Amino acid sequence: MTDLESSKQSGVLLQQDSFSSPVEEDINHDLFTGAPAVTKYKPTVASNPHEDQEILEGIEDIYYNTEGYDTSHYELQKLPEELELEKIDRDRTRLRKQLQVVSKKVSDLVLQNHPAYATELQRVMELQKSLQLASVICANGRRQLSTARDTFTSASLNMLANYRKRQQLVGLLKSLRTIKTLQRTDVRLREMMEEEDYCSAIQLCQECQKIAVTYRHFNCISELSTKLQDTLVMIEEQLDVALSKACGTFNMVHYEKVQRAYRLLGKTQTAMDQLLMHFSSAIHNTAFQIVLGYVALCSGTGRENFHKLQYTELCKNLTQESFTPCLIDLCKALWEVMRSYRKTIRWHESQPKKTSEESTHSDVEVDQDYIHQKLEHGLTRIWQDVQSKVKVYVLGTDLSSFKLEEFIRVLDLINRMIVIGEEFCGSKSEGLQDSLKQQSLNYFKNHHRYRMDELRMFLENEGWELCPVKSSFTYQHLMEFKFMKHWTRAEGKDAMGVNSNHVQKVQVASEKGEELRYFQEKTEDHNPFDTQYIDDDKEDFFAGSWEEDDNDSDSDSDVPEELKQDYIDELTGEAKSNRNLKRRISRQRNQKNIPIVTNTTLNVLRVLGKYMQMMTVLKPIAFDVILCMSQLFDYYLYTVYTFFGADMYVIHERTINTRLQMTLQRIRSNLIVESPVPGAPPINPEDEREKIPPPHVSPIVDIHSTDRLFGLAERVVAAESLVFLAKQFSLLHPHLESMIPSSKKAFLQQFYTQTVEMACELRKPVYWTVSARAVDYDVILSHMNNVRWDVKEIMSLHNPYVDVLVKNLEFFNQRLLDVGRRVPLTKSVSDLVWEHCVRLINRVFVEGFSGAKKCSNEGRALMQLDFQQFLMKLDTIVNIRPIPEKDLVEGYIKAYYLPENQLDSWIQEHKEYSNKQLLALINSVDHINKKARQRLVTIIEESDRNRR
Amino acid sequence: MYKTVDWSSRTATCHVSSRRCGILDYVRRWYGILDYVRTTLAPTVPRLPRDFLFKFLVIGSAGTGKSCILHQFIENKFKQDSNHTIGVEFGSKVVNVGGKSVKLQIWDTAGQERFRSVTRSYYRGAAGALLVYDITSRETYNALTNWLTDARTLASPNIVIILVGNKSDLETEREVTFLEASRFAQENELMFLETSALTGENVEETFLKCARQILTKIELGELDPERMGSGIQYGDTSMRRIQKDTSAIRKPDCAC
Repeated sequence: MTDLESSKQSGVLLQQDSFSSPVEEDINHDLFTGAPAVTKYKPTVASNPHEDQEILEGIEDIYYNTEGYDTSHYELQKLPEELELEKIDRDRTRLRKQLQVVSKKVSDLVLQNHPAYATELQRVMELQKSLQLASVICANGRRQLSTARDTFTSASLNMLANYRKRQQLVGLLKSLRTIKTLQRTDVRLREMMEEEDYCSAIQLCQECQKIAVTYRHFNCISELSTKLQDTLVMIEEQLDVALSKACGTFNMVHYEKVQRAYRLLGKTQTAMDQLLMHFSSAIHNTAFQIVLGYVALCSGTGRENFHKLQYTELCKNLTQESFTPCLIDLCKALWEVMRSYRKTIRWHESQPKKTSEESTHSDVEVDQDYIHQKLEHGLTRIWQDVQSKVKVYVLGTDLSSFKLEEFIRVLDLINRMIVIGEEFCGSKSEGLQDSLKQQSLNYFKNHHRYRMDELRMFLENEGWELCPVKSSFTYQHLMEFKFMKHWTRAEGKDAMGVNSNHVQKVQVASEKGEELRYFQEKTEDHNPFDTQYIDDDKEDFFAGSWEEDDNDSDSDSDVPEELKQDYIDELTGEAKSNRNLKRRISRQRNQKNIPIVTNTTLNVLRVLGKYMQMMTVLKPIAFDVILCMSQLFDYYLYTVYTFFGADMYVIHERTINTRLQMTLQRIRSNLIVESPVPGAPPINPEDEREKIPPPHVSPIVDIHSTDRLFGLAERVVAAESLVFLAKQFSLLHPHLESMIPSSKKAFLQQFYTQTVEMACELRKPVYWTVSARAVDYDVILSHMNNVRWDVKEIMSLHNPYVDVLVKNLEFFNQRLLDVGRRVPLTKSVSDLVWEHCVRLINRVFVEGFSGAKKCSNEGRALMQLDFQQFLMKLDTIVNIRPIPEKDLVEGYIKAYYLPENQLDSWIQEHKEYSNKQLLALINSVDHINKKARQRLVTIIEESDRNRR
Repeated sequence: MYKTVDWSSRTATCHVSSRRCGILDYVRRWYGILDYVRTTLAPTVPRLPRDFLFKFLVIGSAGTGKSCILHQFIENKFKQDSNHTIGVEFGSKVVNVGGKSVKLQIWDTAGQERFRSVTRSYYRGAAGALLVYDITSRETYNALTNWLTDARTLASPNIVIILVGNKSDLETEREVTFLEASRFAQENELMFLETSALTGENVEETFLKCARQILTKIELGELDPERMGSGIQYGDTSMRRIQKDTSAIRKPDCAC
């Protein structure tokens, strides 16, 4: 401001200078040449000083008034009204004079003061000049000062200020660069994420965050750091995804990366929790996707939205055809998940205990312990998940109409799963076992139902012809049982030992040798549900076990030796005479031992074989299978009984085993469909489902013709084949026992004692029918009734009825021999028939003797004679020792001779005689009096009442 | 006609059982019927109600491949490890012949002489028979007459027999020409086909042809299914039908 003022002042100064200079010169000139101007007036005026004085004094005061007073006007006002020339003239002269005086005076004064004025003016001029000079100097100074100011001071100050600014900006630039890098990092992080380099990503991210903290005074940083935070979250998410990938297919490198990343994040524990959840959801998703795929594929229509279904519901939509492939896929996929889990565990185990030195030891250890525990727990959890998925799947479809092979495939898959589960976490897999059991049972029940129907059909078509097999034939010779060969072959003859050994062996094998069959590192890459099945598909499901039996299973294995020879003879025509003889002998000898089997027996055995096979795979329902096996036997037994043993002739025979009766009764109520009674309420199909209708004997079987001995041949085949079957069951007993839990063994025992052992008992009713009809006992009886026993003399000849009887027996024997040519009659069979025959004859004897109204001592002797004659003749026909119920006859005859007191006790002791027979005895005895007789009759009647 | 009867019996069963099981089961049962309707509309479904049941025989000398033919027919597989049949074996299959579902009850007999007496008892009442010989063995061809007589006398004079020359895949070892065999068939009023149990060629056709012929004879009235021992039954006995139906209807129950 001062500058500015000074510059202004200088400007003013400059102006004054320029103006004053010419004035000064003018003045100078005028002043020095002014003298002539004054002198012009002098020549005209000549005045007297004194006078002048007076005139001067005569000037009115008004004229001295300097204040703009109009003198002309004053003079005019003085003029009188009436103007007088003279006066005016006088006044004018006076005024002139005055003016002259004044002018003169003034001129005098000017002249007088002029030198003073001139000097003074000179001085002023000088002053003016120096002032002007000073002003110029001053102006110059100012000018220069301002230049200096302009050029120096402000420039350097600016420079300083600028420098400072620059420094600040450089700093800022650095920060901005860093921020820019930070921003770029985000992209890099994403790249890393894609490269799955989580560790570096996290490190980078964390670094960035640290940096971000130092720069937090920038506004933009807060945004950036939130972004970084987001990225970190995103990384974690990515990690999570990566972790979940480990569930599907475990990749060591990949997993290690992820784990390291989690450690960096300090979230190892969370990771483990997460991992387990991922496994869970992986299991669920895999299962769902696979089943969904198949369901969608099968439905084809796409009209239903399967996505929205629950897994359980989804499983029910699967068709039967796609069940197995889907199951295989499901198992494979789930196995993959489990394998990943295993690998995860192995990875963690393989980690060195002290992984990082940075963190404290205890921390790491705790961490590892935690992980270890977590993973161990997880095993069970994951297996539970897998198990439930498979279970739900398996139970979703009804498999009962599957073919056996296919069903066994399914079972094998599930079993494999169970073994895997066992290996996986030592779980007993109750759920799977349960589903296995349920499905097996369902399947097997269905299968069994068909087999029972088939058995019925077989029985109804059965001609009860002997089916020739070799003499050593047992169930083991059948194809169906060949899978069991090594069971017995390997370990001697003690079948019991064999099986326990076998079972033990298997257990040992499964416990030790095969413990890590599936989860071994080497084998792990191979999916257990993959290849094995391609092989199995082509062969039988029990393949392998046959192979070694080639020698036995050649085509003639079941041909009896002698028939084999026959065959050779026919082919080669070799010298027959010698051979034929031998053959006949051998045939004779063998005939008795040849196993008697029917086609149906063989079928039952085949079915048993198949059941045994099924049992080996259907272990959980082994007991039910055995139950069904027992049903096969029950039905066979029941059929033999109804066909051949249920005739009225023997049904009331008291000698028939009551246990057999109970067995038959049990079978009937458990197994046989009641014939619908008209008008009765409809049968509950639920109950009847397990039952089958009673069989009807094939019309080609004739059991009533006398010529064919009432179908004795068929009876023999039937009963003996049943016995044979029973024997086979007994042979199977140890095997069966080894397959069921000990708690169920009691049932098996019961089955054997109550049913299998009853097979032999069944011979009696079957054969006795023949015995009962072999002789026409009524004819004999009527013959006897015509005999008079009150003869008075000892007879030497027996009665003719004995001859009739014996002839009957001879005829019967002949027929028996005829039958024996058709089927082998073992001694036990013929003995049974004969024994019963004799027993019945003996009863006829007693009945016949009791028919005697009167009897003499001689008559009693005749009875003895008749009986002895019969026994003698019988001995020539058939050799039976002892004669059954011989005492019955002899006792009855001899009782006649007893004295009264002994007769008393005899009656009470011998309940085997009927009332009628006893009464007849008492009445016929003639050596006791009437009173005693009456008493004995009372005793008999009383005991009869008691008996009732 | 037959189907309508069947229908009414089906619905009747449903009503009876629904009363017992409550509304839910009733609904399920109706679903069962829907299921049934669906399956009947499909061309070949094994769960069809059977119209007929034919008893079939497979006879012929030993080693001609009878069991293999049966196995191929039922399992659609060749039986590798085949032994001589002991006695009689059995197989059944439901086939569709001329729009009717027919259950074939097939008795596969042993060809060996020693089993002759056992197998004969199965001849009785057979509606159809496959008389099998081996085209690579003249011996088996020569035995045909005996087998034929057996079949005609033991089974039924009306039995429908188809002559089957098996092992047609072994062309190089052929001993019996097609012409010769077809002449034999013509003379004895038999149908004739050459099959291969190994490849499955003509196997199913054989059974179908035989079944078709029997159906034709029934339609012409030459065979009377009502006659005892005809080897033909109308479906199942009524008892079995009810059971079958309930079990079929119960299917959805089980799946739940």
